[in-house]
Amino acid sequence: MHIFNKIFVLPEMKASEIIINNPYLILMYEHFEIKLEVREKTIEQICNENNINTTLFLTIANLFNGYKPLPITAYISEDIQAIIKYLGNSHKYYIKEIYPQIQKIIKDIHKINTHPEILMIEKFFDNYFEEVSEHMEYENNVVFPYVLNLDAQLTNKNNYYKLNSYSVVEYREHHNDIEEKLTDLKNLLIKYLPIDNDQSLRRKLLFYLFELEYDLNIHSQIEDNILIPLVEKMEKLIAEK
Amino acid sequence: MQKRINIIVLESSAIIYEGLCKLMCNPAFDFNFHFANNLNELNQLNIRYNADLVIINPLLIQNMGKEFHAIQKEYNKTCWLALIYSHFDHQLLSIFDGLISINDTAFEINLIIKKNLLIENTSSNQPTQSESLSEREIDVLKLVVNGNANKEIADKLNISINTVISHRKNISQKTGIKSVSGLTIYAVVNNYISVDNM
Repeated sequence: MHIFNKIFVLPEMKASEIIINNPYLILMYEHFEIKLEVREKTIEQICNENNINTTLFLTIANLFNGYKPLPITAYISEDIQAIIKYLGNSHKYYIKEIYPQIQKIIKDIHKINTHPEILMIEKFFDNYFEEVSEHMEYENNVVFPYVLNLDAQLTNKNNYYKLNSYSVVEYREHHNDIEEKLTDLKNLLIKYLPIDNDQSLRRKLLFYLFELEYDLNIHSQIEDNILIPLVEKMEKLIAEK
Repeated sequence: MQKRINIIVLESSAIIYEGLCKLMCNPAFDFNFHFANNLNELNQLNIRYNADLVIINPLLIQNMGKEFHAIQKEYNKTCWLALIYSHFDHQLLSIFDGLISINDTAFEINLIIKKNLLIENTSSNQPTQSESLSEREIDVLKLVVNGNANKEIADKLNISINTVISHRKNISQKTGIKSVSGLTIYAVVNNYISVDNM
């Protein structure tokens, strides 16, 4: 994990300043669809321009900076929309960008390091990538529509449909596996895999893995500690209706 | 490998609590802090987290000797430290395993914590700290990567399932690798199995 001076993000801080303090926040901006070129604007201004609830932004930014989220207790429809958009965007970043990049570097390493273990790593990663894609597709196709549907019911939109009873608690289990195999891969690359001329490629690979790990960790914290409690709240509100 | 350490701080001042959390850092441990305002809260937190370390401002347990003693007795694996601002009665302090003074430097505090946590570790039945796998662990590893379930491994090696589980835990702790596919690569790298056998 990048070592930075842990700051608690506040609305009046500069949007640029917090990225310089913790560069991983660039990923958060992307997932929120906040474009760079933030100039001298404060976080509050950036949030207003992008129609993001400042409290939600601060909660997630501080999660990136290592602070446990305060439970968001109130159900706000706009927040649900923003969270789902954020999570969907991060899925795109995993599936379309960083996993393929990692896959490519492993293939490049295999070209110059012919130890049989490297081929095993390639297979290990291909299988892993497949598992992750399946999990994320499941979230995109089942979990997110379910959440948005609850939201539609509560905002009295007419276009909701009745879903089978489905509990989000089940899906909390899925996450550990994804992070576990990433840790395995890191340990194998740092501690055990024979090295040839692939030191610099391996360094690049590890940096990608750390970047991915950082974002994945926040991603599952958002799902487990912010989204799921909110969904449970929405389910309760609907039951009371 | 980082070991997660649950720490409960019984202290009335948020400033002191935050300051203490900030000063305590040791890359060998993953500290997880919890704040308690009174003995009752401390007890609740302890039930939940089974703290490794409790740091207490003795002022908050003065005249509550009996209640405190009962909690201390129940959690005999926990290490109890006093955080003292001023002079305290010797007898009151004697119930603690160690003392942190408000004037201690970050270095001194971390030394005290480390010393007390290490004593705790050796007294409990932790696995040996050696990084290489024992012969028995290698036997288990080979069977794991060949696709045997815990029950089958237990039968083949004539040991209990619990022993298999504990071997597997130690293997993952030493190598940092948990998945069977990851362990397979580890076993090949170390020539415990050959690629041709797979």
